[in-house]
Amino acid sequence: MNSFEINISRLAQRDQALAADIRQSGGGALEIVPARTGMSSARANGRWIHSAYDPIKEAQAWAEGQTHQEGETIVVFGVGLLYHVEALCARLPRTVPVVLVVPDLNVLADAATVRTWGDWIDRVSWAWGTTEAIGERIASAGHPLRLVTYAPAASLHADSHRAIETVLQRKAVAQAGGQLRIAVVGPIYGGSLPITRYVVSALESLGHDVRWLDHSVHATSYQQLELLKNSQHRLALQSKYAEMLSRVTMAQLAEDPPDLVLSLAQAPLILPALEHLRRKKFLTAMWFVENHRHLTYWQQLAAGYDFWFVIQQEPCIAALKRAGAKDVRYLPMAADPSLHRPLELTKEEWEEYGSDVSFVGAGYANRREIFPRLVGQDWTFKLWGNEWDGATGLASVLQRNGARVDTDTCRKIFTASSVNLNLHSWAGAGFDPDGDFVNPRTFELAACGAFQLADRRSLMPELFAENEIANVSSPDALPAEIARWLHEPEQRVAMAAQARRRVLAEHTYQHRMRELLSRIGVASPDRIGPILRGDRQAETLAVAAADSFPSVASALRTFPSTQRVELKQLAAQIRSRGSMGTLSREDLMLLMLDEYRSETKDLV
Amino acid sequence: MQHDEGATERRLLIQLARLGDLVQSLPAFSSLTSRDPQGPLDLLCPAPLADIARLFPDVGRVVQWNGAQWHRWAESFDGEFQSSWLREIDQYLAELTSEPYTMAYVLNHHPRAILAATLLATEVQGPNLRGPLHEALSPWASYLRQVAQERGPNRIHLSDTFCGLCGVTPPQAPPLLLLPSIDLPGDLAEVGLSAGQWIAVVVGAGDADRSIPVSVWIEWISTLLALDSPSAVVLIGSERDQATALAIQDGLSPMIAGRLWDATGRTTLLQLATILKRCHWAVGADTGPLHLAASVGTSAMGVYFSRARVHETGPYGQGHWVWQSDRALPETWPIQASVKMIQEPATASQQKPVAGWSLWQSHHDEWGAIFRPVGDKDPQEDQRAEVWHRLTEQSLSLQGVR
Repeated sequence: MNSFEINISRLAQRDQALAADIRQSGGGALEIVPARTGMSSARANGRWIHSAYDPIKEAQAWAEGQTHQEGETIVVFGVGLLYHVEALCARLPRTVPVVLVVPDLNVLADAATVRTWGDWIDRVSWAWGTTEAIGERIASAGHPLRLVTYAPAASLHADSHRAIETVLQRKAVAQAGGQLRIAVVGPIYGGSLPITRYVVSALESLGHDVRWLDHSVHATSYQQLELLKNSQHRLALQSKYAEMLSRVTMAQLAEDPPDLVLSLAQAPLILPALEHLRRKKFLTAMWFVENHRHLTYWQQLAAGYDFWFVIQQEPCIAALKRAGAKDVRYLPMAADPSLHRPLELTKEEWEEYGSDVSFVGAGYANRREIFPRLVGQDWTFKLWGNEWDGATGLASVLQRNGARVDTDTCRKIFTASSVNLNLHSWAGAGFDPDGDFVNPRTFELAACGAFQLADRRSLMPELFAENEIANVSSPDALPAEIARWLHEPEQRVAMAAQARRRVLAEHTYQHRMRELLSRIGVASPDRIGPILRGDRQAETLAVAAADSFPSVASALRTFPSTQRVELKQLAAQIRSRGSMGTLSREDLMLLMLDEYRSETKDLV
Repeated sequence: MQHDEGATERRLLIQLARLGDLVQSLPAFSSLTSRDPQGPLDLLCPAPLADIARLFPDVGRVVQWNGAQWHRWAESFDGEFQSSWLREIDQYLAELTSEPYTMAYVLNHHPRAILAATLLATEVQGPNLRGPLHEALSPWASYLRQVAQERGPNRIHLSDTFCGLCGVTPPQAPPLLLLPSIDLPGDLAEVGLSAGQWIAVVVGAGDADRSIPVSVWIEWISTLLALDSPSAVVLIGSERDQATALAIQDGLSPMIAGRLWDATGRTTLLQLATILKRCHWAVGADTGPLHLAASVGTSAMGVYFSRARVHETGPYGQGHWVWQSDRALPETWPIQASVKMIQEPATASQQKPVAGWSLWQSHHDEWGAIFRPVGDKDPQEDQRAEVWHRLTEQSLSLQGVR
């Protein structure tokens, strides 16, 4: 019997269906090539999956680099010839469950062909089949999960792995019930400031303990620096100011260390501060709600954050990774339905804000170039917003002399316009040829139940269908599209209603924050994951402590059963008993640990 | 845990601070062992200082406190509570002592030391009167706090307040560490072997604001080695002092290179103690190495400024010297005068005043160490006897003893 038959027969004893499917798969996904040591190595698409010299040594080095904590299930992405799985099994205690994700059975068939597997193979559980089936098999293996990736082999099925991770995140979201302490670091001013507000609100509504480190209070001082005429002085002082605010942020974080520091774009945290936070074991994440092509400061910060969330896909994600970011995920914009919702307008408001066509926004170059062709048509056009100085061709339609429009007014305009134009900003003429991300206005208009006509964006189709938001492919086609939609009032209403339903179902900031936290939770099985699952709640901890440390269990039961309890709270509870209270040995150990904890988190 | 009623009392002295504090605990340790020579006295200290603790005369077991491990626990636990790691800590503490000590003497007014004592012993004597959470201080701890806050006319050395904390009087004679023969690495093996005065120069200090400037050391060493009498200098310090040592050497004439050894960052604590013992003098501002020098019998000359005060932390013993600045950041330095004291020790007591500095010499009597000024009378009355009587009375009263 050859290796393939021996291996598959062995597999069949534990999973007959898997063995049968492997026999049918045929293999051939990998090119088997002998390594210098005489062992088999493999290539795919011209790239080595294992070392061309010594695949076993390479696998052992990889396994040495993996971490594991008691009680975790290890989920391995990347099949190859299984050298790395064998090395990992050899390194881990026998009680640790290992699940191998198999997106393509042909690869496993190749692996079965080249050598006979040892007893270690009996420790491995196999997650195979559809994405959902793989997710189910992993979830059934037990929690918490630690995902490890053998990159050379995993890169063959990157899309599948992403989809599987998404399934796992969805499952984590469904289980999430714990309360995180999150510090949200916002910008001094700018477009990400209102987004910060929405994020804080969403996190709070999800039950987390949120502290907004609001730097908008420094905006007036910072903007004074803009008035300096000497650009060298201005830049130097702005840099110093940002550095000072970074220190302020550190001091604020030190006073009450959070589980997660979540920054929004333009948050004043500089790289040395982020590196210091990492040394002090703080988890940090950035939601970069900007066009990475326009604002490029992410290049200096990429390596500083543990997690990046961006509103663009490739090439943005690859660029951030090249710049040193370890974990980058796509997280599109959203709406806050508590603010962005349909309105009932008075007759006066209809008169003031109503029009056939409107646009709300700043006077970017492409808008200045496109909008004049909308003036003088047989429909009414109102242009709202600021930074339109010098746009003489638009003077007749510009409202309020180009004053800035607040959120409440925006909603009225959205409601009172038959066709809301949503033209993404760009510094060039026409539509942005690389237009990919979808702006916040898209979601806000939809949440308000307003009909919109947007320029074509490559990432729009996966967020909204064509029967939810109307698109236009070129500036030249814009007048005709407007005319067409003005003649379709019923369809406009139907589409706007569909779009609103879509936002409420999938695109609120609550959805985004759930996704963001579940990603971080899945990637941090020993830190954020347990909190999200509620493992740190008083009653859960009390049950775990009851046998060995009954006095600790008693102390834990003085807290509300679902309250999250940590060392800090437990130590405070012991101290609160007063100086005359009796201290058990466990109490003393906890107090001692808390002494060291307070020093460990001392940032300043 | 079971106690053997016939067994000797097991006692533990706890000192969890730095090198200087450990060495300054030697008088208290000595008095405790003298009071009860039959009962073993163990010593709990930070693990990196264990080699020095083993040099204490008549020390029982040196118990090592692994602060780095506690830090790792605190970091890895990341603030969370899990009962599983209490088991780990329980095991660690059981390895320190299988049975609780009868008595722990605590010398640090720090929660860690007090908690460690309460974890390891059934009875605790130290700064706190009634357990780790009670703020009431013992009479000696109150006195120490008052001195720290007000300075004032205190003349009781920190080492002797340690004795007070433990309920013993200062030793009749300043105790010394028992240093065995230790090999020195490479060129340092030559230290102290040739004739002439060997001077250990302690180049750094714990904090930057307590360090003697490089330019001052260059002038000091140049002055010392320019004299006709044979002298040699050994630069002493830790790894972080190596840059300072190199800067000093860069500023010195190449002609004196053969009379200077650089030991910074190259020695273990035992090797450092050996170098200090082989030298005739140790000079500098860093009190840790100065205390170590004094404890192995070498004359110490401290240059105290910033927060350092001669009366509390001068080198313990007989015949040591301290130059005390009257300001936190001195503008001038007693270079000529201090070099002359080393070259002509007999003239030391006739030193002329140096502007901005006062010179003090150490003595020892029944109340322990006392520093007296050179060429003048101490403006403060020596109140040590009165303080000892008063605090002893208070301590006995609290214990219900008359």
